Amino acid sequence: MLKKLILILAMMGCAMAQPKAHHKPAAASATATANDVIALRGGKLLTISHGVIENGVLVMEKGRITAVGGANTAIPKGAKVIEVSGMTVYPGLIDSETRLGLTEIPAVQMTDDFIEMSDEIMPNMHVYDAFHAETSAIPVTRINGITNAIVAPGNEDTLPGQDSFIQLAGKSADEMLLVRDIAMPLNFTGAQRRNQSFEQAKYPFTRMGMAAQLRQAFIDAQDYEQKMAAYEKKKSADPDKAGAPPKRDLKLEALLPYLRGQKPVVLAAEEANDVQTAMGLAKEFHLKVILNHLTHASQVLDQVAASGFPVIVGPIYEEPKQDERYDAVFRLPAEMAKRGIKIAFASYDAHNARNLPYAAGYATAFGLSHDEALKAITLNPAQMWGVDKDLGSLDVGKMGNVVVANGDPLDVKTDVKHVFIDGAEIPLVSRQTELRDQYWK
Amino acid sequence: MLRRPHSHWVMVLVVLLALGSLVIAQQPQPAQQNPSPASKNPQSPEKQTPGTQPGQENPSSTEAAQTGLPVFHNDVVIKGATLLTVTHGRIENGSIYIHNGKIAAIGKTVNAPANAKVIDATGRWVMPGIIDCHSHIALDDDVNEATSPITPQMMMKDAFDYNDRNIYRALAGGVTTSLLLHGSANMIGGQAIVIKHKYGLGRDELLFPGAPQSIKFASGENPKRVYGSRHQLPSTRMGNFEVMRSSFVEAREYMRSWDDYEAKVKKGDKDAVPPKRDLKLDALADILRGKLLVQIHIYRADEFLTEMAMAKEFGYKIRAFHHALEAYKVADKVAANGIAIATWPDWWGFKVEAYDGIPWNAAIALHNGVRVALKSDSEDVTRRLNQEAGKIMHYGNISEEDALKMITLNPAWIIGVDNRVGSLDVGKDADITIWNSYPLASAALVDQVFIDGDLFFDRSLSGLGLTHVKEAQ
Repeated sequence: MLKKLILILAMMGCAMAQPKAHHKPAAASATATANDVIALRGGKLLTISHGVIENGVLVMEKGRITAVGGANTAIPKGAKVIEVSGMTVYPGLIDSETRLGLTEIPAVQMTDDFIEMSDEIMPNMHVYDAFHAETSAIPVTRINGITNAIVAPGNEDTLPGQDSFIQLAGKSADEMLLVRDIAMPLNFTGAQRRNQSFEQAKYPFTRMGMAAQLRQAFIDAQDYEQKMAAYEKKKSADPDKAGAPPKRDLKLEALLPYLRGQKPVVLAAEEANDVQTAMGLAKEFHLKVILNHLTHASQVLDQVAASGFPVIVGPIYEEPKQDERYDAVFRLPAEMAKRGIKIAFASYDAHNARNLPYAAGYATAFGLSHDEALKAITLNPAQMWGVDKDLGSLDVGKMGNVVVANGDPLDVKTDVKHVFIDGAEIPLVSRQTELRDQYWK
Repeated sequence: MLRRPHSHWVMVLVVLLALGSLVIAQQPQPAQQNPSPASKNPQSPEKQTPGTQPGQENPSSTEAAQTGLPVFHNDVVIKGATLLTVTHGRIENGSIYIHNGKIAAIGKTVNAPANAKVIDATGRWVMPGIIDCHSHIALDDDVNEATSPITPQMMMKDAFDYNDRNIYRALAGGVTTSLLLHGSANMIGGQAIVIKHKYGLGRDELLFPGAPQSIKFASGENPKRVYGSRHQLPSTRMGNFEVMRSSFVEAREYMRSWDDYEAKVKKGDKDAVPPKRDLKLDALADILRGKLLVQIHIYRADEFLTEMAMAKEFGYKIRAFHHALEAYKVADKVAANGIAIATWPDWWGFKVEAYDGIPWNAAIALHNGVRVALKSDSEDVTRRLNQEAGKIMHYGNISEEDALKMITLNPAWIIGVDNRVGSLDVGKDADITIWNSYPLASAALVDQVFIDGDLFFDRSLSGLGLTHVKEAQ
């Protein structure tokens, strides 16, 4: 209902009052800097990569984890020691699809930078060009333990642009955009058709149109690459005879790393038949694939497992189909994990991306193991996005993105008590806590 | 597509009765609890004394026949569970005796007839059915009669699609009662219906018998956007409140004309001509006469104040502010007026008037003495309001009992049915949910849902898990 409302609001394009001024910029004025040595002592460490350490010690120095171990682990002299006994310590959570920094108030179009709707093939759009580091939604999200996220454009285009991978703290967009153009969404859910009515028909009117348009774009890019290569070859042989270079085309150029399999395409489809069509296209062009959604594709999970592609599953809160059991979608993560598919969760949200761990928690009610659920918001996405050298588990050498909470990270009742990003403690402050403190007397 | 079932539960019942060993330990001292203190007019519990007349006739009591309740078994005992009563704390290893669709006894032990059906809920959790006091499911797309800002004569019952699968999905999440409201396009929208989620029964059997009538008001951005985009009144908050005010003035004139007519008739004036009846003005008059519970969609603090002033000016009462994201800014004034709020735990920012929403809204309101409910306004969230209640506990140290009330007794009060549902108390409707683990958690699952003592959902069943719907395959 809300999403529909937002869409209606957006479509109505109504003139609204300007959003209220922010109270504070999002960038944290950290209470401890990355240069401090911080030791978390006495907590239950959920390392993700090597089990649980009770009464453990974790040390961070210069932004990195420098020690993870039991009670006897040496704590460097002069370290700031934070007693966390009775608490749970786990790696910062990773949200595999958000709109953080692309909107402040979705109903106010002037604050939205979701998607370009003039064409369906827009790989040359880069969310980093729109990313608003100072959005009030980032502090709201990080104080619930989410330290990293994919920022993706809206999904109404087949190729809406390229994702960025962000850190949820930093002085500016430059610091927060850890990996620009990390992946490219390829949407094949049907929502990319332009078939409002016969009167307003516009290509692509059908899924056939979508597929043909996409295939043509990839072929054009391959052709472009060949022409460029031929020119470069000529140029290196004899610069004088090379002639004029082919006209540069940003759109086709943007597709090249994906056609070469250098970066993943995030292939979104919901229905079984769409998943098959999209996977067929991916195979045809030898794309490196991360699947997305698969909300109603339970019949083809064996095929998905055989492909070896990882999956961003959800949102699991989508309604099942008319004749399906109430838990048909809730069960998907468990069904995938059972088949050995690597899964990750995403909030697909900006303002309530903070609720990411609860989706993973809910999936455990429907058969996903707690370990798998936790991995699906830490190490699995870190691996899927190619950042597991730095993120996703409590291991020496990784970035000091660490969360301390008073219970199970996946439970709705759990309170986050400390958040460290890049080894620095983030104050548990947001525009919302400021409003709370202003009025709660 | 869906057919009314007759056989399933009856067959289960026959089989169970045939087994003949459904006797629970008879305890000498029934630990009955009093009905909720909030109950002004509790349904009088059955006058029988459980367990004293083992040979008494069980099927279809006269009460059940009169109310038309689908009572498939008159005596059920749920035993061994941790009971979250809402009004009187937890009862560990407790039992509930259900008789004729009502809670007849609750406590560590209960007395029940020897042939009562026993459900062993050892290690599981039991709480009252969840109540969602702000829902638009089962109305298909007919939520907003967005053709005039004042449409109090709209009756949501006329749009009620009792076959909507959303009723089932909410049931499977433990919801037993919902208030289905008109949308927020109009300053004064339509009149709501209260349903019980007895999925599989007929339309009128889903309506909550005897529930008071509620009416939906709205304010702020939605009405001004809907009419402003057509260059109609209202397009501002000034316009919003002016159309309300002028409607009430007109309704007063209408009421006066009827009062004059009735006075003439009383005096014996045989030539008195009755005024022309007008459904819209009738409905507005019902508001002014206090016959309808006023449920207001609202976000901004200043509008709370204007709505309360408007109510004072025209002499009606506001039952609840819905959404109410800025209640925390004027919580003392809301409390002083005895108005409840029905809010989300943490939705915010999706439009300008929602930008100051904070998840501590419920806690601040509660600490000021406001009655707080959590509601869904969503076909998704209505399926997991238990998680919303769990979530709210960590925004301001809200107690388990207060959090539970937010999805049971408090929404029941907002709907005006707190004397019937919303807690595990003797005399209340046996709307009961059994959970596989502690319900206010991410990972809790509903095992079974009883409404009026009858089983409507059972997770262990294959297919949809429904007991009153015969599935196609």
